[in-house]
Amino acid sequence: MTDQIRAVLQESRVEQVEIDRYAEEVSALIGTEKVSNNHIDILSTCRDYWPVSSIWMLEGAVPALPQLVVWPQTTEEVSQILALAHERRIPVIPYGEGSGALGGVVPLKGGIMIDMKRMNRIRELDHENLLVTVECGLNGALYEEQLNRSGYTGGHFPQSLRCSTVGGWLACRAAGQFSTRYGKIEDMVVAAEAVLADGTVFRERSVPRTATGPRVDHLFIGSEGVLGVITTATLRIWPLPEKRHLASYTFEKLEDGLEAIRMFMRAGARPAVVRLYDAQETGNHFPELGDKRCALILLIEGAAAIVNGEKDVIEECVSARNAEDTGPEHVKHWLETRFNISAASRLLQKGAVLDTIEVTTNWHNAYSTYSAMQEALKDVEGTMLASGHWSHVYPEGAALYITVVGFPGDDKIVYYKNIWQSAMTACLAEGAAISHHHGIGLHRGQWMAEEHGKGLDVLGRIKNALDPHGIMNPGKLGLGEVRKWQK
Amino acid sequence: MAEVNMEELLNCALCPNICRCECPVLQVSGREAVAPSGKARLAAMLQHKQLNWDEPVFEAISNCLSCRGCTIYCPFTELSLCDELLNTRLAAKASGIRLPVIDPCISNLKNYGSPYGQKGGPSAAGKKGAEVLYFAGCTSQANHPSSIDAARKLLNKAGVSFQMIDEDCCGYPAEVWGDQELARQLAAENRRKIVDSGASILVTNCPECWLTFTDRYPVWEQDLPLEVIDGPTYFLRLLREGQLKPKKSEFEKISYHDPCIWARAAKKTDEPREILSLIPGINVQEPLSYGEQTRCCGGGSMFQLSFPETAEAIAERRLAEFPEDAVIVTACPFCREGLLQEGRRVLELVEILEQSC
Repeated sequence: MTDQIRAVLQESRVEQVEIDRYAEEVSALIGTEKVSNNHIDILSTCRDYWPVSSIWMLEGAVPALPQLVVWPQTTEEVSQILALAHERRIPVIPYGEGSGALGGVVPLKGGIMIDMKRMNRIRELDHENLLVTVECGLNGALYEEQLNRSGYTGGHFPQSLRCSTVGGWLACRAAGQFSTRYGKIEDMVVAAEAVLADGTVFRERSVPRTATGPRVDHLFIGSEGVLGVITTATLRIWPLPEKRHLASYTFEKLEDGLEAIRMFMRAGARPAVVRLYDAQETGNHFPELGDKRCALILLIEGAAAIVNGEKDVIEECVSARNAEDTGPEHVKHWLETRFNISAASRLLQKGAVLDTIEVTTNWHNAYSTYSAMQEALKDVEGTMLASGHWSHVYPEGAALYITVVGFPGDDKIVYYKNIWQSAMTACLAEGAAISHHHGIGLHRGQWMAEEHGKGLDVLGRIKNALDPHGIMNPGKLGLGEVRKWQK
Repeated sequence: MAEVNMEELLNCALCPNICRCECPVLQVSGREAVAPSGKARLAAMLQHKQLNWDEPVFEAISNCLSCRGCTIYCPFTELSLCDELLNTRLAAKASGIRLPVIDPCISNLKNYGSPYGQKGGPSAAGKKGAEVLYFAGCTSQANHPSSIDAARKLLNKAGVSFQMIDEDCCGYPAEVWGDQELARQLAAENRRKIVDSGASILVTNCPECWLTFTDRYPVWEQDLPLEVIDGPTYFLRLLREGQLKPKKSEFEKISYHDPCIWARAAKKTDEPREILSLIPGINVQEPLSYGEQTRCCGGGSMFQLSFPETAEAIAERRLAEFPEDAVIVTACPFCREGLLQEGRRVLELVEILEQSC
């Protein structure tokens, strides 16, 4: 039945006889109930939350189709699945909850979708060392819920919290909304267990820091399934905070807000949430503040004495940039609405293309990167809105999150490609990095060579060494050809 | 047959689903095909004729407990995915597609008026014309008649003049399985008997019956010309009016499981707790999720008959949310059946109340 559905980016497929043989043999290893060639399961894992997939869905097409879906429940089963695929040269694509924004799971060459959601247990909660060892298929909200039940937080709250997995966070080097205090996911990982393409399982130790050569498990953080499959991770956790302080301010200019943040980060304050909106987003998210000034919202949490100290430092820094104190209510509003992502569904049905583009850079060119990307996006024909906010801040810089909405008329895909080309060109010209936390997936791979230079070649050599037959998530992370999409 | 609302269905299909963490079938199966957006996408493809009905499609679209868990975080306030999936399923009948596992249940509904088979005996009781009609429901009759006995004793203790009829299944299972015609026939037969009873108040202990009487009977043009009251509200009324006077309960530590329908469709989360609070000696400890944020026991949409393994896995997941040493109390025969697993004591609210009165 799936043969009747147009798979726009399908580069190739494995001979059906090979898939059938693999299915039979892998079923014997892991159980028939964990293997499906049902067209419904194949259709349902063919995409993620890449806007292009949504555009095609409305046109009755899909990006590409896998040929088999498997649901391992143990690391050993992951190993068996990969070892057999390696032997047969069949592509394997890891799948979590499908919230990726760049087509990272599109099965360009068909093959096996390895859906990790049945590996969803917390294996160990280590109270003394503040560590949790968790299987990678666990849903993010359920992970946090289980930690909360024992008096802890994982400190990781991406907007996709409720529709992503722990493994997805690791695979994409994700960031949560509270990252300024708790860090990005790579800051939280103490050790990981992963399975290589040939089925080899390895795991590093959960010790604080080592000087025992490069940490090979950390190589897999951000590898987006091209090197192997991450199966479990040991992550840092924190006791639930004793105190939370909410504050918001507005600034006359975006540059004032950026400078205030730079100064309080320099002084050592680490509020969990730092979000500075341009005037347009201020008006959109907080209409009562108008659209002439730039809003900064802050959430400080932790031990009461530390929170009080950080509050004093921050107040001094924002006052120095003539901030207007607008109170805690706007932060409460943000907390209540921060996971709401309904606009895309509605706008897509009205013929719009909506996407978000996150990049990262240092303080010295933070504002110029924002200006250059915004102008570049507004210059693309069809663009109706290009706004931005800064979040995920560090002593050395911050992440910029641009939202772009356009009504391009007939060819939405051309418009989509145009906005990305304009945004990435402006970003690279400014010296900013092309992604902060959404990752590369399929689409952003075309700028990886410019981003990394020779570094991409090094990554390619590592990939070839670990996955000599190239079965792991082909065509992603800028490694390998993706002819049909780049055409 | 209600039309599918394509705009709302597509809102779901195009969404990454921040509701995924609250979809029990997805969380126990790991299958994308049964994720809220997975089902919405399949339903949208059916509507657009990109997909034809077949057994796997019907099976996936049927994998919805109608627990409304997905509404907890849903940003689309007009969307009722379980209703859209129900409307989608109803369209399958013309294609002759159904779940083979429920064939015997459909036969039972046609032959005996109950999906569980021949009823134990005539259930009619009390005096015709009595003001209150107590509707027991086929699931309680088949699985846990002790709750019906408890309700009858309570009504007697309160001095309520009540009656029971030789009831048929309310029709809910038939519609869930895609046979609205059969549902309507059962509803018509029930309506005839209810009208004939002369009662002015209908009390039902089963949430599915309550929802079917109040929400589906009007759709099937079988409106009931009397007041339909849910069990918790009615027995609370008797307590407040002093017609029931509970004494110290033999149960101390109780944890109340909110059935999905009472909690999210009827918004009845305070009434059961107030009943428990009026029984001396009871200490209520809430499970991890409760009130309108309750999680399904696995019994919604007749899963215990349609998808028994999934139902059991969901029940196990839900059971882990309760204090281990508490007696679980609920107000739904499906929840009771689902949660009644080895090592756990599960009772219905009417039984706890009756034992203290």
